[in-house]
Amino acid sequence: MKWRSLSVLLVLALVLGAFSLSAFAEGKYGGTFIFGRGGDSVGLDPIQVTDGESFKVTQQIYDTIVQYKPGTTEVIPGLAKEWEVSDDGLRWTFYLREGVKFHDGNPVNAEAIKWNFDRWRLVDHPYHIGGDFTYYSYMFQGFPGIIKEVNAVDEYTVEFVLTEPQAPFLNNLGMVSFGIASPAAVKKWGEDYFKHPVGSGPFKFVEWKKDDRIVLEANEDYWGGRPYLDKVVFRSIPDNGARYMELQAGTIDMMDYINPEDVASVKENPELDLVLRPSFNVGYFAMHQNFPPFDNVLIRRAFNHAINKENLIGAFYAGLAQPAKNPLPPSLWGYNDEIKDYEYDLEKAKELLAKAGYPDGFEFDLWYMPVPRPYFPQPKLVAQAIQYYLSQIGVKANLKTVDWGTYLDKYYADELPTYLLGWTGDNGDPDNFLYVLLDQTQNNCGYKNDELHEILLEAQRTVDHERRVELYMKAQEIIHNDAPWVPIAHSTPPLVKRSYVKNYIPNPTSTEKFHRVWLDK
Amino acid sequence: MTTDGTAVKNRPRKKSGNPWLEAGHRLKKSKIGMAGVVIIGILLLVALFAPLLAPYSPTEQNILFRYQPPSSEHWLGTDEMGRDILSRIIYGSRISLRVGLISISLALLMGVTLGLIAGFYGGFLDMVIMRFMDIMLAFPSILLAIAIVAILGPQLENAMIAIAIINVPRFARIIRSSALSLKENDFIKAARALGAGDFRIIVNHLLPNAMAPLIVQTTLSIATAILEAAALSFLGLGAQPPSPEWGAMLSDARSALQKAPWVATFPGLAIFFGVLGFNLLGDGLRDALDPKMKNA
Repeated sequence: MKWRSLSVLLVLALVLGAFSLSAFAEGKYGGTFIFGRGGDSVGLDPIQVTDGESFKVTQQIYDTIVQYKPGTTEVIPGLAKEWEVSDDGLRWTFYLREGVKFHDGNPVNAEAIKWNFDRWRLVDHPYHIGGDFTYYSYMFQGFPGIIKEVNAVDEYTVEFVLTEPQAPFLNNLGMVSFGIASPAAVKKWGEDYFKHPVGSGPFKFVEWKKDDRIVLEANEDYWGGRPYLDKVVFRSIPDNGARYMELQAGTIDMMDYINPEDVASVKENPELDLVLRPSFNVGYFAMHQNFPPFDNVLIRRAFNHAINKENLIGAFYAGLAQPAKNPLPPSLWGYNDEIKDYEYDLEKAKELLAKAGYPDGFEFDLWYMPVPRPYFPQPKLVAQAIQYYLSQIGVKANLKTVDWGTYLDKYYADELPTYLLGWTGDNGDPDNFLYVLLDQTQNNCGYKNDELHEILLEAQRTVDHERRVELYMKAQEIIHNDAPWVPIAHSTPPLVKRSYVKNYIPNPTSTEKFHRVWLDK
Repeated sequence: MTTDGTAVKNRPRKKSGNPWLEAGHRLKKSKIGMAGVVIIGILLLVALFAPLLAPYSPTEQNILFRYQPPSSEHWLGTDEMGRDILSRIIYGSRISLRVGLISISLALLMGVTLGLIAGFYGGFLDMVIMRFMDIMLAFPSILLAIAIVAILGPQLENAMIAIAIINVPRFARIIRSSALSLKENDFIKAARALGAGDFRIIVNHLLPNAMAPLIVQTTLSIATAILEAAALSFLGLGAQPPSPEWGAMLSDARSALQKAPWVATFPGLAIFFGVLGFNLLGDGLRDALDPKMKNA
């Protein structure tokens, strides 16, 4: 009797255990997932924006031809289920998934993909409107750039013909900015399309209240399976502290950009989990060389010597960062670890200033972003610390800021003499840092170096990996020597979620699809 | 006031002599008014001797010692940049007083000029000036200030200008109503009969007699000006970092409200006492200067 009841209990326990295990593996359908973030999106047409707050949302609405395996930058099938490339690297053929539909019911076929690429790359295309198509020219070298032709071979086969081989081509296609939009919707809305996004991704756009919230709902017919969540809401809560209070109160389910000083309290709270995004970014302080005296390399090096990065990281990142000496994050291949950073040395900085002809310092405007970013969770405080460091070598920085959209506009218009900004890698290729941020045809810090330009172009054309590593190593040396920036930090951005949020896998590229996320409540 | 002042000296001191002296006596008797005087006195001394009183430089950072609780080393703790809060509050008193005095002086100058012109001349000029003042009063004052700073650019100097502008209508109204009733008095007619010009009548006869309510309003306005400057700085539109403005300190302390409440508490208290001081003095002065309260 005794044994029997025990064995019954055992069986019961096993069954229950199996149930709870399966519950973990399967996930529950339903619920609204509210994500609190530091700022509103700039726009929801992914090709027209460059900021993470926009991509966070467009990632849910759009699909790309290929995509990255969750948690990595490894390329896996997206809208294309397979692909092949010709031996000379100039002709790429993609075989699309069949039967995929945009949220407005139109089919995602070769024609639609061709239409999107033509819109992006051809300046005279009737719908090449509504913005600068920045990321297209970043990744494919201008308009039309290296993509010579895009052909719809048949309903589900699309072919790209390049003018020259591009090593990161496949990785580039997986970037969130190259989300495929419904041609019908773009034609319908024209310049206003960024407010009425239509893609084929796991969530459909419902509404956008500026500076308040963006609401999405599940796409029942998503080719990757119906999302577990019924609804996703992105709420803008600019103040890190206020956002954290909302999370503690349970009015939001997840947030990013927690104040470093609150990280400890998250670890103590059983209802909250810390989720660390793999470090894949750089936060930097740029000095625009169109604005004297920043055209003088001695001044730029002096600034590099004057800023104590170790202390900045200790103070403003809760230790979740490492000091930067290169534009590339150390986790990326091609990182040059042999470069010796400019050490923190005020005497040396003063000497360099004197040598440059400014023994008594000078005054300039230092711009900082108004919103927390993964690479600068507290930009205002970092700016104040830099202001203080520079005051010690006799240089006076006036701190300036403006709303986030305008800040980026001013940055692209080369109106900021010095500024804080950063970058999170989009596709796992050094090209996506070095070419995009520092090549003379791309950068917004007035930096020109012909040798660097040649090296970066050659690295794009080269397919041989070893050779590319060599080129990028050399590129980092040149950049270090010219010191266009003070690289500050590579952070490991912390996200915080309520513990009932399950299966959230953060990508190094800073955005991820939510269709596998579910709520255990 | 100056004319009265010189006249006083030649007159024998009697109980019913100079009304300003009498007011001063009444103020001395008012506990509330004296409390205001004491608070403002302390504030002035602190502002004057800030470099001697402050244990540290208000901008000296030590970012590895952020959010230190109050201790013997840092009496009021340290803020988000590892700066000594006590030193910042001490230096902040200079900013708040300066903002209060300069912006209200500007408002006084503009408001009194406009109000006197409107009240004295009347007619079309009066209508134009006062309707314009009405329009300004129709806006919530802080909203108007934000709009002005948005146009001029976020800076403490611009915040002062904005605060000056939003305070103009109140002064204009007060002085106009005084001018309206005063100009019908016999002594004005007498002055005119003796050949005094408009300017002389306005400056030497109207203004001194409209002084009492003006002084009260000025004192009270300094209090609101301090508050408004703090509010603008709180919104990032006033003093810019690393300036130790109280409102800006409060704003920066917000994100650590739960973890380090002292960072917000002390600048908050400083604002509170600064505003309280001027309000108490204003109330005391109102009682002292009100002729109806004379023998109370």
